[in-house]
Amino acid sequence: MNIPLDHYLMLSAFLFAIGLCGALARKNAIIVLMGIEIMFNAGILNLIVFWHYRYFASVTAQMFAIFAISIAAAESAIGLALVIAVYRHYKSVTLDEMTSLKG
Amino acid sequence: MELIFWILSAITVLGAILAITLRNLIHCVLSLILFFLGIAGHYFLLRADFIAAVQILIYIGAVAVLMLFAIMLTRHVTGDEGPREVLGGKWWAGMGTAVIIAGLLWAIIRKDSLAQTLPAGTAATSVAEIGKALVANWVVPFEAMAVLLTAALIGAVVIALEEVIRKR
Repeated sequence: MNIPLDHYLMLSAFLFAIGLCGALARKNAIIVLMGIEIMFNAGILNLIVFWHYRYFASVTAQMFAIFAISIAAAESAIGLALVIAVYRHYKSVTLDEMTSLKG
Repeated sequence: MELIFWILSAITVLGAILAITLRNLIHCVLSLILFFLGIAGHYFLLRADFIAAVQILIYIGAVAVLMLFAIMLTRHVTGDEGPREVLGGKWWAGMGTAVIIAGLLWAIIRKDSLAQTLPAGTAATSVAEIGKALVANWVVPFEAMAVLLTAALIGAVVIALEEVIRKR
């Protein structure tokens, strides 16, 4: 495979920026969680890319990727449970309406 | 190989962009599934077969379905977000931050001499090796992850059931 390493790194950086944009600019809490998942995936893609280009014989990078994916799944479950709890309270998942802590 | 890379990259970026720009939440999750599939394709291309399978099983099989459930539980009708503005109050700050971060990362990657790096070897890590490593060298993180996932499961149930418990 003749794809240079920086192609993958630029793809990953671009995906991270898209995820960051989604997490910061959107109103809906579920879309914000999706943006966080996109950022997670961009990071894990970087792990696998560096494993492929630098440490192909080692198993460590794949372990890191597996644990990162597990933590992302746990984070997503907790985040969506929080969204459901917030929805029970406010009858909405729009972040701009959650102003109870505003001074 | 390069053609596959470009096609997969196009699918991945398209899925990511659609996932955060569409108005209909169900369509957002479907685009996110497209994005996850593109990433899994990249893992296959990088010969990380096990991670690709894990990506499909966990992200598409669990996270995306969980998001669909969350959307269905939090909407009266599973339609679009309604006539109100989709973007948050300070959306321009978010977009500006994302553009600046993308520019910075782009500049850093271009500056470095990473472009000449080519794949290291040919001996791929097999799934059997990963399995052995998980229960030998990595057994403590593995068990810690099991505890963390159990805690997350219990925590998610407790948080989501809060109102019901209070009523009783």
